[in-house]
Amino acid sequence: MALLQISEPGMSTAPHQHRLAAGIDLGTTNSLVASVRSGDATTLADDKGEHLLPSVVRYFDNGAILVGQQAQAALTDDLQNTIASAKRLLGRGVADVKTFNGVLPYEFVKSDSNVPLIRTVAGDKSPIEVSSEILKTLKARAENTLGGDLKGVVITVPAYFDDAQRQATKDAARLADLTVYRLLNEPTAAAVAYGLDQEEALDEKIIAVYDLGGGTFDISILRLNRGVFEVLATGGDSALGGDDFDHAIAEWILQQLGETSADQQTLRKIMVEARRVKEVLSDKEEVNVSVKGFEVSFSRDQFCQLVEPLVKKTLFACRRALRDAALEKEDVMDVVMVGGSTRMPIIRERVEAFFEQPPHVDIDPDKVVAVGAAIQADLLAGNKPDSEMLLLDVIPLSLGLETYGGLVEKIIARNTTIPIAKAQEFTTFKDNQNAMTIHVLQGERETVEENRSLAKFTLRGIPTMVAGAARIKVTFQVDADGLLNVSAEEQLTGVKSAIEVKPSYGLSDNQIETMITDSMTNAKVDMEARKLREQQVEADRTLEALDSAMANDGDDLLSEDEKKTLSEARANLVAIKASGTTEAIETAIKAMETAAAFYVARRMDGNIRTAMAGKDINKFKD
Amino acid sequence: MSLNFKQNYFELFSLPVQFPLDKRLLAHNFRALQSQHHPDRFAHGTDQERRIAVQTTGYINEANEELKSPRLRARYLLILQQVDFELCDTTHDMLFLMHQMETREALEVAEQADNALEQVDQIAQQVKHGVASIENSFQQHLQAGNLSEAKDAVLKMRFYERLNDEAKRLQEKLEDEMFA
Ligand SMILES: Nc1ncnc2c1ncn2[C@@H]1O[C@H](COP(=O)(O)OP(=O)(O)O)[C@@H](O)[C@H]1O
Ligand SMILES: [Mg+2]
Repeated sequence: MALLQISEPGMSTAPHQHRLAAGIDLGTTNSLVASVRSGDATTLADDKGEHLLPSVVRYFDNGAILVGQQAQAALTDDLQNTIASAKRLLGRGVADVKTFNGVLPYEFVKSDSNVPLIRTVAGDKSPIEVSSEILKTLKARAENTLGGDLKGVVITVPAYFDDAQRQATKDAARLADLTVYRLLNEPTAAAVAYGLDQEEALDEKIIAVYDLGGGTFDISILRLNRGVFEVLATGGDSALGGDDFDHAIAEWILQQLGETSADQQTLRKIMVEARRVKEVLSDKEEVNVSVKGFEVSFSRDQFCQLVEPLVKKTLFACRRALRDAALEKEDVMDVVMVGGSTRMPIIRERVEAFFEQPPHVDIDPDKVVAVGAAIQADLLAGNKPDSEMLLLDVIPLSLGLETYGGLVEKIIARNTTIPIAKAQEFTTFKDNQNAMTIHVLQGERETVEENRSLAKFTLRGIPTMVAGAARIKVTFQVDADGLLNVSAEEQLTGVKSAIEVKPSYGLSDNQIETMITDSMTNAKVDMEARKLREQQVEADRTLEALDSAMANDGDDLLSEDEKKTLSEARANLVAIKASGTTEAIETAIKAMETAAAFYVARRMDGNIRTAMAGKDINKFKD
Repeated sequence: MSLNFKQNYFELFSLPVQFPLDKRLLAHNFRALQSQHHPDRFAHGTDQERRIAVQTTGYINEANEELKSPRLRARYLLILQQVDFELCDTTHDMLFLMHQMETREALEVAEQADNALEQVDQIAQQVKHGVASIENSFQQHLQAGNLSEAKDAVLKMRFYERLNDEAKRLQEKLEDEMFA
């Protein structure tokens, strides 16, 4: 027997002591836990030998809670108390969740915090609590298998998750009493699992990770160079997954039944059957569909036709991600398949055709993410001090601030490597403006309503100054998990305000899922809307400048007649600003400037310093 | 080892302070710095070590972004020479502005054409040439010490950047339509 090792007093851990760590794939449909044991990363099974834990939680009135397979078995019987797909609700607000009504059979109730709660017999549960039950189950499984307490975990999230969703995931981990070393993007984890960094062949290579799960689709382009994984671009659709393929079949079944609507119970049955049918078709050419005594055969060809639009949608996103990374298909040297839905032959064929090479499918697509997370967790636990591996993630959606007129000024562009800190200066719009509201947004669109509202706070105590004189520096800091901190400071006086961004769920209509796609298709509308807004803002500025000038010296410099002319021009601009087109407003601004030209000249001549900011005087000059 | 924040971005990556850039060297040195300072290297460090790691890598990432983009790199070179940039700064070269407007309109027209993608591609190509020539003239003005001309070139790059974005967006949209 080896001698017992005794460490020096004060030395907390022996340097080569192995710390227990695990990787957790908290999936929409299935969750897994994996760990590195004797150098190998493997997923851990429950006492029945099952690796996949269905992400389903069932609540009972006596306080008991069932998680996983047993809960899933009750999906059709105990609809209201059996929560599936909680991940879809994580980090969402009450307004976002409204659109899930009808899709999800739960009764949602409002809470004070704007986090939607699901009414169950055991009380109202937030999606964070539901997720934490799944995490607790996996934690217990890992600690039983590994024989000790977990020191820390890496939890994976879709690369696409926004700040609120990441924050919610961390909150769920805290509820489950887990120490999170890091939130890791799922595609990055998958690339790690394939050990593509272990191959020696080349200096540098480009990897595409195609992840089609139950509820989401992610495509990421990574660059790998000597153990450093750099995410170059990421894209996808957080509302496109295997479920949508089920829906397509379910609709077809409804059609065959000759029904246009059905009760919740029947719908669930049809959905369950649709999913079974879909999965069978991955191995067979033909399958028998059977619901409520109705039987019909359904072929893979029929299926492929039904889902063609969905398949295409994923390929569009691939092209977009490549473009964002400024790369061509030919540059991609490895394609990695992730997610249960990549078992569908149609997906494999089309992805192969698109990238012109067979994708990697050797690691079980369900397990690959958890395995990668385990490798990273092992590293972060300090068990592999010599490893060169480093994962550099990017921010998936741009971060910005609301500026005057409901427009968004981007501060950090999507696909910027994190952590990152960026500052931008803003100024006041009005004379003597003492406060400024900082409204933080995430998304690609140009107007406030169409982006995700993350937080709002107010910087008060700005000293009295003319418009445009204050210098307000707003700093965005994103950490390695992709979580945001915002602070604002008035530069001249040092008045400060800071906030750790907690989601305010300000989104009125739920467009998060399609934000990027929308931002592309709506680019033109955006541009027009933007031009109109800009003209409206321009009109406001012009009006403000005139008002401020008249209040100052109008009585001294203008006759009553002149004042009347100016106020008519003013009224005209106000009216057109409210209802006119971009061009009409532009013309009206010009008209007012022309009408006011003599007044400006008079003011300049008199060399009168007014409270008007320099920029506004310039405006009147031409 | 902590990072010296007083170095300028070029020094940080051991690059010469100049406009022409060795991209591979930047990428290589970027990775080396990240490997050394990334917060993941301090998962077991003290709170302070981790905070410093976040700040340091944030700085490295920002520097990398600035140097990778020709416009931001050019702008940074001028800032190093005490040239000020204000929010409302813009070029007053009327000819240039007219040309920009024409190109923008040409893009709008091209979008409606039968061979839209071809036309947009062509315009995008022209924009590329425009960018190359403006970068060229920036480099010359900088070397000659004509800072205000160099600044004007930087301001013009921003216009090209917007045109380029617009062309890219159109290409994407048109290709998607073809692909659909
Ligand atoms: N053999 C199969 N053929 C087709 N789809 C499958 C197959 N196996 C699993 N799936 C689908 O994979 C999805 C779940 O994938 P998974 O990666 O676990 O999702 P998530 O990451 O969202 O939890 C479900 O939609 C499921 O129907
Ligand atoms: Mg998954």
